[in-house]
Amino acid sequence: MTSIPNLDDINQTAYYIPFSGSADDEAGNAISLPLQRSKNDLPDGDGMRLDAYMKAWRKTLDRMQSLIRALHAPVVEQVIKKVHNSYTNVLPGLPYPELPVVCITNPTSSSSFINDVAVRLDSTELDKGDLPDIPFLSTSLYPTDCGNITSAMKAVIGGFVDRPELLMKVKRKPTTSLASHDIEMLVAWYKSIRETYNVTALSQPKLVVIMHDFEEFDPGIVQDLFYICSLHVPRLPLVFMLSLSSPPSPSYLQLTYPRSTMALLRTHKFDVPSGIKILEEVVLKTYFDPEFEPDVMIGPTTLKHLIDNFTRQNSSLEASISILHLAHLKHFSTEPLTFLTQSTPSSDTLSHPSSFHTLDDLLTRLQGSAQSTDKEQGADWPDTIPALIATIDYARTTFYSRIRRLRIGSRLIQLVQKFMKTQGYKGLDWDQRPGGSSILDVMVDILRGKLGAGVKFLGTMVKKLKARQLSVLLEEIHIFFQTLPTALRSNEEEAREKIMASRSALPEQMDIDISAISSQLAESIGEWLVEYLNNLLRPLEETALWEVWYTGLSPFPSDLMNPSVRASMLAGLLRPYDFVDSDDSEGVTHSLSELPDTSILFRRYLDSGKMINVYDWFESFQLELETQRKHLRKKLAPEAIKVERGSPKKGKGKREVTSGGDPLEDDDGEEKWRVEVQARFMRALQELDYLGFIKHTGRKADHVQRIVYDIHD
Amino acid sequence: MEDVSEAHYIGYEELVTDLSTLLTYPPPFIYINDPISPRTTSMIVDSIFEKFIEEFPGGSSSIRAAKVNAISCFSARLLYDSILNSLASWEAQWDDGCANWNIEDDGPRWNENFDGFIHGLHALCAYLQDEKARKKGKGKQKQKSTEYEGDDVRLIIAIERAERLKDNLPELLVPLTRLAELARIDLTVIFISDVQWEDIRPPLGASPDPFFIDVLPLTKETITNRICSKFSYTSDDLEPGPYHPSLKGLYSHFISVLCDVCFPFTNDPQELEYIAAARWPGFVQPVLDEHRRKVTSESENEMNEGDAGSTLHPPTEDVRMRLSRIFNSSLNSAMEELYPRLTNATEWASANQPKSDLLAKPPGEVMKRGTLGSSLDKDEGMKSLSRMSKFILVAAFIASTNPTKSDLRMFGRGLDEKKRKRRATKATGKTKGGPAKIPQRLVGPVQFPLDRLLAILGALLEENDVESRPPAPPEYTIPGEYTDMETGRIGIYSSIMKLTSMRLLHRMSHPDRIDGPPALKCGISYDVALLLAKQLDIPLNDLMWDPI
Repeated sequence: MTSIPNLDDINQTAYYIPFSGSADDEAGNAISLPLQRSKNDLPDGDGMRLDAYMKAWRKTLDRMQSLIRALHAPVVEQVIKKVHNSYTNVLPGLPYPELPVVCITNPTSSSSFINDVAVRLDSTELDKGDLPDIPFLSTSLYPTDCGNITSAMKAVIGGFVDRPELLMKVKRKPTTSLASHDIEMLVAWYKSIRETYNVTALSQPKLVVIMHDFEEFDPGIVQDLFYICSLHVPRLPLVFMLSLSSPPSPSYLQLTYPRSTMALLRTHKFDVPSGIKILEEVVLKTYFDPEFEPDVMIGPTTLKHLIDNFTRQNSSLEASISILHLAHLKHFSTEPLTFLTQSTPSSDTLSHPSSFHTLDDLLTRLQGSAQSTDKEQGADWPDTIPALIATIDYARTTFYSRIRRLRIGSRLIQLVQKFMKTQGYKGLDWDQRPGGSSILDVMVDILRGKLGAGVKFLGTMVKKLKARQLSVLLEEIHIFFQTLPTALRSNEEEAREKIMASRSALPEQMDIDISAISSQLAESIGEWLVEYLNNLLRPLEETALWEVWYTGLSPFPSDLMNPSVRASMLAGLLRPYDFVDSDDSEGVTHSLSELPDTSILFRRYLDSGKMINVYDWFESFQLELETQRKHLRKKLAPEAIKVERGSPKKGKGKREVTSGGDPLEDDDGEEKWRVEVQARFMRALQELDYLGFIKHTGRKADHVQRIVYDIHD
Repeated sequence: MEDVSEAHYIGYEELVTDLSTLLTYPPPFIYINDPISPRTTSMIVDSIFEKFIEEFPGGSSSIRAAKVNAISCFSARLLYDSILNSLASWEAQWDDGCANWNIEDDGPRWNENFDGFIHGLHALCAYLQDEKARKKGKGKQKQKSTEYEGDDVRLIIAIERAERLKDNLPELLVPLTRLAELARIDLTVIFISDVQWEDIRPPLGASPDPFFIDVLPLTKETITNRICSKFSYTSDDLEPGPYHPSLKGLYSHFISVLCDVCFPFTNDPQELEYIAAARWPGFVQPVLDEHRRKVTSESENEMNEGDAGSTLHPPTEDVRMRLSRIFNSSLNSAMEELYPRLTNATEWASANQPKSDLLAKPPGEVMKRGTLGSSLDKDEGMKSLSRMSKFILVAAFIASTNPTKSDLRMFGRGLDEKKRKRRATKATGKTKGGPAKIPQRLVGPVQFPLDRLLAILGALLEENDVESRPPAPPEYTIPGEYTDMETGRIGIYSSIMKLTSMRLLHRMSHPDRIDGPPALKCGISYDVALLLAKQLDIPLNDLMWDPI
């Protein structure tokens, strides 16, 4: 350890005081599981929950990613085709060859799309070893690579040239050969490629430069880069691919780059599908598709937050996926029973005495749900462990079948609504909601069980349908049932039979208005539909142990994703103990003198006027510290007697150590104390200054200006 | 080939004669200034070099020329390498490690500094002289012994975009202009640039004054001739395509109309050529369609006619008039979209393709096709932004156009909930002395601190967003407290940063400065702001101090 620095040396402006504590604490924390243990956990509950969480989240994430990929696929295809044809079918008569640029605007899912494209470009490379079949050679360019034009050129050229699998690297003398940022080197390399592999002009591989986060590049450098490259087309078949996240209409390229640069380029724009429609597609197909079954269903509050965040705050799919991720994490970390998500542990584990807390909790909940619902499960009260396991397994299957029916219901209601729209009726007012509309809002209502009125309304609409329309609707519903997975279809046998019967009951000749029959039929179908839908859309909370598979109404911790800087800073200063020990000190109020120095100073700051006299401030601070000191002495006095003039215990932290152990009426000690108070004041003041609470105006001597007002405690 | 260069030189005859004459006894430093189309000039200089070397006694063994680009030679090393390689007609080979030109394999390095470069030039000169002597020796054994003055090799170095030397390699500017003196060989340096020599001239008269050649802007007629003369050689296919020789007459008419329309906006021949390339295939398509129709119907009727029927005849005057009437209006829109490169020629051409068999239809039926709707997708463009980002942009627009002092009057609310005070509209027509005040919207956006943006954002949210946002949690009891909380969230800051990276907001203060709030500037136009405000139901015009 170095010696203590000489703090009095005025020539030194900064000191480095190395951290001297042990590093063990942090290392210990780092490997602990992210899930908190609760008292109702099984002995290995947190581990089991973590496993269940990983499985559940992986399943959902895979589904979402494959959906996103499917959404991107057509545009990826177009882009690849465009790149492929970038040097064929060039318009004749142009005054000079242009540099092809593919400009991909993708505001919703920033990096995933361009990665998809890059993978496509690379995969063709890997599949076939023979060069003449390789249509592209690609390299990626990141804003950090391009601090200046030299490094940018080096990155581009190096990205292509460093491929020993294509062309052996030749040893070069760095001084007497071309510089590695000289485009002539790329020209030489490409010429050599062409000669080695006997490539014809048509099949020559395009050199694709993918520029990620194009907005972050320095426009001046990119201008030069484009200029240099444009001098060498079509000898070097370069294609630039720009990934933009700004909105397409005031085009970033047009805004930023001068006409002289734009004139060098042949820009093709591609818009990746974006906006709320994408989120709807992904969420509907993940959580409301009968063909897919996520392990954990998200509740209406989370879904609502997801929509709000997407439409209002951050329209990016990545952020939305993070929200779902966080919802999963929260579900598995706060709900101790979630270890039951996929499977039930064996009876050995459950019968172990250490599991009794869990069993207790489990039974209480089972009892609660048994009381609330009518005893339709008909299961006996589980009095043995195997019976309990059977009950849990039964609850799981019940929940999943219920949610499957909910998904069918949600699809059916969408189908009927869509039918009404195509028939020219208004249907339900899904579009006229305040603050934008989304089909996901309807899903929120379904999950909340608030769609009863809507279902009833649709039923009434169906009742009024004409025979011809009715037959179309029945046809559509029939097709819907046909397309369901077999396992689900067999469960809805009754409904299908009803539809079949109704279809056959419809009169053959539609033209003849047999109003009596058709209206009667419509009436019955309408009623049946309402009943059927209501049956399908029963709230998920009615099932036993639903908390395990459904996040329900538990609020989403939005403050974790999007905290308010100011509010948390003020809260930290005003109530520091809320942050330190989370559970124990709930509701305990601390007197001012018990607070840390910065908080004391901040409280006094709040009491002051617009300008604060620093000396007055210091005095009030000193007063508080005196009180604090007295308190400490009182506390320490009995202990000191016990230890009998020994040094005070180190339990209270550093500050107390220095202040507590002083002899009482010692001049020397008093002097030391004064210096310490001043030092502590200075430090607290600096901290407030650093946080931006103080403005040094210099208008009045010894005064600083307060800039934060109106704190509502 | 002759034809090609002739077509190239139209309009630049003066430059060609000047430069060719000069190069026979060249001054050490020539400055060619073409403010309109430096690219064309540089192409022409290239072909002058080629022709000149061809015609020069001794050919390429007694004169060598190099043209380098000051943008692609952004470092001194690149400049030296390119000049030497190009003078030596040396092409780097990958297989021998991209070595530069040198006399022997382990020769000295020429690209280290200017001194090395001069040595390189000397070495090159000596090498070329040797080669020349060897060639001559082979050809004429008799004259071997005689000291022949013509052994000297003349070097020409042209530097394009020379204005960039001033930024990239300022230390080289003076030595390059004095290269002939420094190297003491027969050498000429030519700068080609679109700025005046006065703008890049080094201070204190360090450089000798060059021989100036100014390229004058071409007249409309010259440009028309120039573009028309290029027609013949761009057509090489026998299939009647848009560049079929029979269509040349129509083409020259087309070009003259095009130049009439576009010349007032640009007199860069390349730009006009670009627009012509985009419009011509569509313009001529009806003629080709007609021809194809005729051919197919003829081949159906009489099989024996053969080739005679399939030749494309120049269209009649009547057809020409009809085509002009149909397409002339589209020339303007082509100009508007292609000159600023809102789209590219290929895409514009395919988007504005006329319907097939246009000439077969009666004139009344011929619909004018709309141009690519750039205004159409404008509405869609901003949709991808989140609601909060839109609010931020509108707030930024207001902050950038309204004076700071007006904020309180615009957004302030008294206790009595009085309607906001508007500035009394001044009586017009009264002009006082002194400079007239320029309206804010013409001055351009002013910068504002982040705090002001957040304050205006809060006011906007409080006024226009209460209905659509999620209901406030019950703990917020004071009016405006919830909005206050919302504007302080990380999400807002990150949105602002994101918008800055999209250049919809501009950050004016240095990113490294940490004291004081960052200063920003709005990057969207009034139209875009109005569009966003409409989407958000904000009465933007009411909130502007100086409404339009």
